[in-house]
Amino acid sequence: MQILRQIKYEPSRVVGGYTDRILRVDVSTQEIAIQELPPDFKNKYIGGRGYALKLIWDGTTRSTRYNSPENILVMASGPLGNEPGFPGTGKFIVGTISPLTDTFIDSNVGGHFAPLLKLAGFDALAVSGISRQDVIILVDGDAGTISIAAAPSYGKEIDDGSLSFGERLLRDVNDGGYSNSVAAVTVGKGACNARFGIVNSLFFDKKRNRIRSKQAGRGGTGTVMRFKGLRGIVARSSLARANGNNAVDREGVRQAGSQLKEVVLKSDPKQLHLSAWGTTVLSEYMDKFHLFPINNYQYGQSPESSKLFASVFLDRYFSKKMPDGCYYGCNLACAKGAENVELTRGPRAGQKVSIDGPEYETVGAVCCMGIFDPHFVMEYNWYCDEYSLDTISTGVTIAFFMECFQRGLLTAEDTGYELTFGNIEAADGLLHEIARGEGFGKVAGQGVARGKKWVAQKYAARHGTPENSAMAELNKFGMEVKGLEFSMYISKESLAQQGGYGFALKGPQHDEAWLIFIDQVHKELPTFEQKANALKWFPLIRTWFNATGLCKLPWIDVRNPEAASTAEPAKNLPTLAYYVKYLNATTGSSKKLEDILEDSERLYILQKLINLRQGKGTRASDQIPPRAMGPAYFNEYESRAEYYDDWLKKQLDDGRIPASPEERHKLLMEKRMQAYQKLCDIVYEEKGFTSEGIPKRQTVTKFGLLDEQARQLLDEFSV
Amino acid sequence: MKIEVSIKFFGMQRVLTKTDGIDMPITEKARVTDALEYVRERYPELPLDQETVLITVNHEQASLDTMLKPNDIVSFLPYICGG
Repeated sequence: MQILRQIKYEPSRVVGGYTDRILRVDVSTQEIAIQELPPDFKNKYIGGRGYALKLIWDGTTRSTRYNSPENILVMASGPLGNEPGFPGTGKFIVGTISPLTDTFIDSNVGGHFAPLLKLAGFDALAVSGISRQDVIILVDGDAGTISIAAAPSYGKEIDDGSLSFGERLLRDVNDGGYSNSVAAVTVGKGACNARFGIVNSLFFDKKRNRIRSKQAGRGGTGTVMRFKGLRGIVARSSLARANGNNAVDREGVRQAGSQLKEVVLKSDPKQLHLSAWGTTVLSEYMDKFHLFPINNYQYGQSPESSKLFASVFLDRYFSKKMPDGCYYGCNLACAKGAENVELTRGPRAGQKVSIDGPEYETVGAVCCMGIFDPHFVMEYNWYCDEYSLDTISTGVTIAFFMECFQRGLLTAEDTGYELTFGNIEAADGLLHEIARGEGFGKVAGQGVARGKKWVAQKYAARHGTPENSAMAELNKFGMEVKGLEFSMYISKESLAQQGGYGFALKGPQHDEAWLIFIDQVHKELPTFEQKANALKWFPLIRTWFNATGLCKLPWIDVRNPEAASTAEPAKNLPTLAYYVKYLNATTGSSKKLEDILEDSERLYILQKLINLRQGKGTRASDQIPPRAMGPAYFNEYESRAEYYDDWLKKQLDDGRIPASPEERHKLLMEKRMQAYQKLCDIVYEEKGFTSEGIPKRQTVTKFGLLDEQARQLLDEFSV
Repeated sequence: MKIEVSIKFFGMQRVLTKTDGIDMPITEKARVTDALEYVRERYPELPLDQETVLITVNHEQASLDTMLKPNDIVSFLPYICGG
């Protein structure tokens, strides 16, 4: 391996979850620097997303785009990452300015990379610049070296693939073998050609005796990494993981971990049973409640859906009785894997591969294209990971173009083939075109927001009509907000979840709020005020998980039996108490849940300020497509006409609905749109924003964020 | 006309019971709690803790005291709160 630059360093010891150091690498100048953090930095920005937000706020400007040299790619865990005694502590975030949204994005991912980076002496890694040649970064805590090396070449097929390249790279840096002490993040060639490239997090799994992978999927973080000329980063440390955070109160950590593990052990098998089925179990429930995003979110249910239920993947693909957690000590272990799956399509047809997944979101993305073939799900999963493409954005983008085709806005002349719902060969072909940046894939690789403009121009030129009239039509069903494609849930019947998607600062990803069941099924949020309260509380607590290096699933997807006797069972407060205890025992703080929420709100407001600076922070950017609010087209209304008529009756004082179905459909959509605007008003008030969705000056001041940049920004908006 | 309700199984329940659902004959005073007992008697291996089960009748949340009508569809679901 050709080393281009190397420094020696003394790894900082982890104390109370922190090293208080950030590793800064500029791949343009090949400068490597260690930034010592002042004591109050961690108190204010926590870790993970908080660190990434602060670095992006200070280090980029409103003109920074994903491919600007000054754009920073941040990878950071948090003070609670890396504790095998507590479930779900392998998480880290990848944060940057997104190619899709032009504002801050972060995507969380599991694996061993961030724990090893921390043991090697760093709370975060921040990469800026653009390298003239493809490089890798090696952080070796054992040798006490940080190196920038020329990306090694293992042959074109391997070099182009994220999984293949990563597997070879990990062996290469470990004398040809596997090791628990080494992990990597890598990006494949597909990320060069699409705005929704992902970062794979690779680690050695002794049980499977192979390299496994998890993905930072959303928002194009892999595209940024690849654009920087950075093909991979390796972290190494052979320090013990047990008490890796050097907790202030080790016994307290042990107790909190034992309590959570017991709840997971006893309750998960009686509930979703994620430990056995993985997140694919959700497909069945989503279909039951009309939430499965079939044919670009048109229909929530199909007689064919059962082909994609968890039992199918469990019977045919998943390795049984093998806990596949993404980090040591997690007894929820929801990640699933399959071995020796034969690829039947694409350039690697005939090869047998190991597949990590699918997750529910990947299954949802395939049904979004109107496809109900489980083997295609497996292949789609593997190819997306190997190419480094987000399964969600890829699926939603292909589904969007399929609907354009269905509605006559695109023709086979535009695409090169019949791009119809359910057409596996077309979907598969387009996937590979996107990865190679060829044919119609060049257009599709830009995502839905840019795709809408392309289709509008094509349609207007073909028909001699104004572009904006075509755009109005495309806006009805182009499933993106702020430039990011929706995750895989239909929000039509849950106003709270419409807000969960619309107000999400990164775009419509459900990791800020997933309120569908407590709103639509449990009916726990009947008033606008209750919805607004939930739309403030859940994003704050979920932000905290992304700042501390923790997985949310042991909290949110395993209901503690004690929660039943609390006032708000959906918050699962008895389990959250274990997390608070874990935090205090690790760092030595004495925080309560309210303190945590306040810490988190500072990060939330900082992210909002970045959005404002990047042109995505006002009410206009929180608007969602009509398809997300209700049946955007008459065919959707017709598919559940009885249900929709009943809903409409309840909204009208006299209960008298219009005579014609077309008028009922029109009135229903008007009511839905009015409700969303009312929700905006009430949520903004709850969050301390103006009616335009801008943080009030006193809100920014309250969290100590009114620096010169924020002051000027608020002046511009006359706030 | 049969006077009964349908009890539907999902996920792990469907695998353990090897069926999508069963029908239960009801009387005028039948409640959800009767349906729960009916299932427990037939499938004692099913984990159905009151504290961690979401009861729905016709896809709406219900309680053990909810009265049942002919042709109602009853489910005992896990809580789902999103990943």
